Amino acid sequence: MIKRIILAVFLIFAGYTAVFGAVGCDLNDPDRDVARLFPESTGYKTIYTSIQKKGGEKLLATVETRLGVKFQGIYETIDVPYTIYEIYTNKKKIGYIHGVNQKGQFGGIQVFLVLNLEGTIRGFYIQKMTSQYAGKLRDQKFGKQFIGLTLRDFSAYDVVSGKSSGKVDAIKNPAPEAEADFRAALRATKKNLILMDEFVLSAQPAQSSEGGTK
Amino acid sequence: MITIFQVAYKNLFRKKVRSLLTMVGIALSAWVLVSLLGFNRGYETSLNRDIDNMGFQLMIMAKGCPYEAATLMLKGGTGLRYMDESIMKDIMKESEVEKITPILMSAVFDPNKGANGGIAGYFGVEPKSFAEMKPFLKFRQGKWFTDTNSFEAVMGFEAAELEQREVGDMILMPEKNVQFKVVGILDRTGTQDDGTVFVPINTLQKIFNRPNEITTIGIKLKKGVDSARLEEKLYKLPDVQIVSLAQVKDTIMKLISTAKVMVLSIAIIAIMIAMVGVVNTILTSVWERFQEIGILKTIGAMPWDVFKLIWMETLMLCAVGGVLGIIFALMLSRVTDIVMRRILPYAPGGGLVLIDLKLIVITLIGILCIGLLSGIYPAWRAGRIRPLEAIRGEAGR
Repeated sequence: MIKRIILAVFLIFAGYTAVFGAVGCDLNDPDRDVARLFPESTGYKTIYTSIQKKGGEKLLATVETRLGVKFQGIYETIDVPYTIYEIYTNKKKIGYIHGVNQKGQFGGIQVFLVLNLEGTIRGFYIQKMTSQYAGKLRDQKFGKQFIGLTLRDFSAYDVVSGKSSGKVDAIKNPAPEAEADFRAALRATKKNLILMDEFVLSAQPAQSSEGGTK
Repeated sequence: MITIFQVAYKNLFRKKVRSLLTMVGIALSAWVLVSLLGFNRGYETSLNRDIDNMGFQLMIMAKGCPYEAATLMLKGGTGLRYMDESIMKDIMKESEVEKITPILMSAVFDPNKGANGGIAGYFGVEPKSFAEMKPFLKFRQGKWFTDTNSFEAVMGFEAAELEQREVGDMILMPEKNVQFKVVGILDRTGTQDDGTVFVPINTLQKIFNRPNEITTIGIKLKKGVDSARLEEKLYKLPDVQIVSLAQVKDTIMKLISTAKVMVLSIAIIAIMIAMVGVVNTILTSVWERFQEIGILKTIGAMPWDVFKLIWMETLMLCAVGGVLGIIFALMLSRVTDIVMRRILPYAPGGGLVLIDLKLIVITLIGILCIGLLSGIYPAWRAGRIRPLEAIRGEAGR
């Protein structure tokens, strides 16, 4: 009992510290956005985590290896907090929504993926992007190209050269003038899938479907 | 020889759960009280710091709603009215004025922020005079732009973090489709500057087609001058409003005073409930030990000895409860901070709850005094117990 109390107190303070750490990527209006991105949902649970909390330097190295490039810049760091929305229909867990920040040509890009329990993309949402061509990249037509893809599909995508094969190669850039932001969106998607795999999907032994709702 | 302290301690231990619950009641009251007093102090300190960090004591704006505009400015918002920058010459003539800096606040609609778009704000500043007003601003990367006509930008810490920008990167002003090169990123200040994008004022005037127009003038006064006298003189200028940041502070303090009164009322009620709890606990304990107290008096204890014993028990309950409450308040001050920020209409940067040693000592003394007061009646009743009646168990309790 005492251990639980100490743990709760620790989590309160650790959680608060994160407020002043690196910036995370949350849905602007979770109630509205979850309902829009996951229409059949009746509730969601918010989980906060980070590479530092989940596995530290070792996990960072794993993520970087899988991504194919080191984390870049002063904002893509080990202590960046990630918000995972677990989505429920009544008490049955039906999927996840998770977003990451990505450096774009003219500003930060926030890429959210809507995933089913197996980690297959069922929705793609760029919450924020600064670009003259942002409208095209935020358009649903562009997002639809990601539906059905998995981390396996993105494994072959080279985030440095932007080259790929298979299904990812079939994703068409609707704004060739904004090639940098198009590639940034793909990199963010790959990073997002890797993080979800490390944080949640590969960590769960079997598909648990019971849980609470908010 | 056993002391009165040891006897009181053992008596309290005889009914552990009851003593514990009473202490928890006192602790909760002390927690609320310390947090409230700490909030009173912290909020004002942070607000003062926010206002000091603005670097100027007076702001001049075009006629409109100065208080709201000033509050918006504190929160990083935008002004909507414009005035001619030639007014600066008139202001500089006043002997009370040490420095002034012009600011042009502008906002554009960014359709690609969230589901329904959002506003992106920009501060057009003159780097030399603005930096002189705010010498506390330090750079994490780069430096101020030097040319007021250049397409360069300096970003506050949080703005840069959100936009993932570093020195050398480009930013795009939505709607206008104008690009700026980031030449500096400021260190975190805990103020509205953290979320601000600063660009050269002349450039912003050109982009928004507002030649020689500004939204705000920041005025730094010479030391020891009469601010009210200057305000009177400045009011003679046409179509401007003068906002004293002292007035802004008063307005904000009035805004939160309702919340403070409510929380204070809750604290007072909590303390009264705790007091009744203490009286009840000690009185029950006295009745339970009715015969024991009678025996004590039979073997020579004077009414004052019994009074002291019961009073000591009250004091110990309150002391331990008070200390526990203060520990709670210290440990959870950050949580209180977060909760208050969500409740209040405006919260300055920095810590909202400031608990220092002086506050702790004052609260503890207050709690002990309340404890002593609460203990008077039970102790008095105990002191009045008649030995023979108590031993026979016949007293009219």
